[in-house]
Amino acid sequence: MPESLISDEVRALVGELLEEPATARITARDAQRYALAVDDLNPVYFDLDAAQAAGYRTMVAPPTFVSHVVAPTKSLAELRVDGIFRGMSRLRLGLPRVMAGGDAWDFVSPAYVDDVITAETRLYSVTEHEGRNGRFVTSVVETTYTNDRGEVVARVRRTGIAR
Amino acid sequence: MTADRFVGDRFKGDRFVEDRFVEDVAVGDELPAVIRTASRAQLFLYSAATWNPHRIHYDREYAAVEGHADVLVHGPLQGAWLTQFLTDWAGPKARLVRAEWQHRRPAFPDRAYTWQGRITAVDPGSGEVTVEVSELDDDGVRCVPGTAVIRLPRRTA
Repeated sequence: MPESLISDEVRALVGELLEEPATARITARDAQRYALAVDDLNPVYFDLDAAQAAGYRTMVAPPTFVSHVVAPTKSLAELRVDGIFRGMSRLRLGLPRVMAGGDAWDFVSPAYVDDVITAETRLYSVTEHEGRNGRFVTSVVETTYTNDRGEVVARVRRTGIAR
Repeated sequence: MTADRFVGDRFKGDRFVEDRFVEDVAVGDELPAVIRTASRAQLFLYSAATWNPHRIHYDREYAAVEGHADVLVHGPLQGAWLTQFLTDWAGPKARLVRAEWQHRRPAFPDRAYTWQGRITAVDPGSGEVTVEVSELDDDGVRCVPGTAVIRLPRRTA
């Protein structure tokens, strides 16, 4: 029986906050640069009249943009060899290769331009698997995004694959 | 507060203004397929716009070290393709309620990925429509399966 890829320290984090809550304001420019990078030119992201005609109070950000607006700003000295910032999370699997596994989102209320979003991230689960190319670990982190009126904007359970 | 009109009215009336109503859809309906291809420049802009320095998305030599044939299209970019597939189809008065997807295979730049969707449930009361979604690569292999729920406006509202 090989030693588990998941340490006791990692298992103990299930249910725990993985980082300090992150807060950031959705600016029209950031949200629009993101929409342009996706090539999603929906006018509700770019045009106040179009957003209001669609029933929004003002312009909105694309649905999953809240997960990017809170991206930490860190110095280049904090980059790991794979280009990911060091110390972003208390979850340290000790495995060098990571990939996105998938997301499960609930969109609860609109993410409006000028809203201040706070993200709270907890470890939901961590599981070891045996695959064709060897053992790997999936972690699911749950993040809740809340606006500055105390309303939940969205929740996501994001699966990461590490090997 | 006035919002920053960074791009302004350029896209007004362009191609996203058609509303789709819950009365006009039925279980078994297929969404018109959409083909997405990411250029390397798009991957760069997406990394920049999301403050994501992960090298597997722009450094081919490094991606090879991790065993990838090329740089990878970001998982969340494919997720954004999925949500846009739904919101473009449904029109601006619709509201995305839920979306989930899994990445079964890596996706690469300069390759065509086809998004398909099929309605599996319609709730006329709430307007919520459930769509089973697939992203297929150019060999027809399903890279991303997913499910989304989007609330459509009612014609009679």
